[in-house]
Amino acid sequence: MEMSAPLFKFGLFGEEASLVVAFAIGIGFGFFLERAGFGSARKLVAQFYLTDLAVFKVMFTAIVTAMLGVTYLAWAGVLDLSLVYLVPTYWGAQVVGGLLLGAGFVIGGYCPGTSLAAVATGRIDGLAYALGIVVGTVTFAGLFPWLGGLYLAGSAGTKTLPEVLNLPYGLVVFGVVLMALGGFKGAEWVEARFGGGGEKERP
Amino acid sequence: MATTIPDAVRSPAREATHVVAAQPYLNPYLAGIGLGLVLLAAFLTMGRGLGASGAFSAAVAWALNAVAPGYVARNEFLAPYVGDVATHPLKTWLVFEVMGVFAGALLSGLLAGRVRRTIEKGPRVSNASRLALAVAGGALMAVGAHLARGCTSGQALTGGALLNAGSWAFMMCVFGGAYAVAWLFRGQWR
Amino acid sequence: MTIPGRWSRLSLSQRLARVAFALGLLAVLARTERGRVVALDLKELATIIDREGDHVGAAEVAGWIVSGRADYRLIDLRSEKEYAAYHIPTAENVTLSALPDAGLLANERMVLYSEGGLHAIQAWMLMRAKGHRNVYTLRGGLDQWRDEVLFPTLAPDATGEERGRFERSVAMARFFGGSPRTGDKESTVARVPEMPKIEVSAGTASAAPKAGRKKKEGC
Repeated sequence: MEMSAPLFKFGLFGEEASLVVAFAIGIGFGFFLERAGFGSARKLVAQFYLTDLAVFKVMFTAIVTAMLGVTYLAWAGVLDLSLVYLVPTYWGAQVVGGLLLGAGFVIGGYCPGTSLAAVATGRIDGLAYALGIVVGTVTFAGLFPWLGGLYLAGSAGTKTLPEVLNLPYGLVVFGVVLMALGGFKGAEWVEARFGGGGEKERP
Repeated sequence: MATTIPDAVRSPAREATHVVAAQPYLNPYLAGIGLGLVLLAAFLTMGRGLGASGAFSAAVAWALNAVAPGYVARNEFLAPYVGDVATHPLKTWLVFEVMGVFAGALLSGLLAGRVRRTIEKGPRVSNASRLALAVAGGALMAVGAHLARGCTSGQALTGGALLNAGSWAFMMCVFGGAYAVAWLFRGQWR
Repeated sequence: MTIPGRWSRLSLSQRLARVAFALGLLAVLARTERGRVVALDLKELATIIDREGDHVGAAEVAGWIVSGRADYRLIDLRSEKEYAAYHIPTAENVTLSALPDAGLLANERMVLYSEGGLHAIQAWMLMRAKGHRNVYTLRGGLDQWRDEVLFPTLAPDATGEERGRFERSVAMARFFGGSPRTGDKESTVARVPEMPKIEVSAGTASAAPKAGRKKKEGC
């Protein structure tokens, strides 16, 4: 089978059309976020109080689904994996960034994508959160001259887990699947234990 | 137990005016598969993943550029979002995607009767406090996202599926950071 | 108990889990080198080379630059020092080793050049193997650029037609800061002319295309 994906990078359509594609994909994204209940801060935050672990379940199911899709399509020679953009790794910046983002998640109740779903479904606190993002962005831009070191900390270029762990790609994929399945099993147990008999957050 | 009393019980009259009663959420595993397929579609069509924080950056850069273009041009973080004068800063893939996210969530909410003007919070905190904390949380999260070059959709989901090393580290730290402060902020949610 | 019987007794989650496990297990065999090992379509490449569809002439590129055409990228494959000393206006500097990782789109049109053209041809092979379809080399490299565009030579025994063409190339040479030469080839070649300074851009956006390039693909 001949390599023909990603379609955009093989010239199937141009910049203008890609914006339409962006909108369409965004619709799918927002649709399933709201379907999962992620327009609700209470549902999202319940993950961190161990009563409703939908965040973990949805995230890792999505990751495994896309990961398996990519692996099989690349193996079949349809998808040129080298043309799929990979954000470069900055160990220091991404560790610190992750910790801050996690804290902001619990304090604010959302992340950027879910805040949009929240605003769309009428949450005033989602709107406040989006405003907070703007404030945070302006602040970050203002502090940027002094954040240079942290921003570039641990720069390692493009790095995948198979490279770092020195394991074959397929094996890492299998490992992630096992980890996710184990995690789901554990999540069901935790929800039963802490969720008071499986009382999940309802709309 | 922090379960909410359904609208129908609290206010039968109000419930009668709802065309569709709020439906329960979708099975998380099915929602995850849906989300994963959308992500896969992005990989196959564009060779890139999802994102959200970048759209906010573009919007901020555009707005600031309208009032202080000199500052934006000198600011190393904002300047690339404005780029050359050829294309509008908001005419980017991410901005259009984010508009789609809004539309898709609205659609899903309407179909499921879950669009309602409300403030999500726990029973023990006031509206004002909740809103203030939402702004603070958003600001803190934004700094984290810009440092990490992405948020949960861009880094965790996209990078996770592509086995990006930095993304996995980021993801674990997001969970770690959240669990670490959860106890401190339980008053807002429980 | 039959297999279908067992399957129907499982919940949705359990079925999904078994499917995921099976797919994950099979994936162990997958091979997905990220573009480090590529396949070459020999027939296709040979045909393109035969048809001379792999290169563009120096004068043609000069024409593109003069007319301000912006739908392609001109890539200088030499070292930073050589690039700084002189480069064709509007060219970007991407060394050969950095080329695969430079984030060039598969459908982006690009013209590669090097000193004499050899590296450009090798780079052309690399890019085509990676799946880039719209890649060309500057025929003859910088050497040809010098001879044809910067310092066009008019032989003393030139025909009328050749003189006519020379007049046109004089204007072109002046635009790029070069200088046309007359006299026979041997005497002019002996004097190595000085390369023009790179300020010659005359309005085309050659200044740091990277800074002007908008942030793409990040999140």
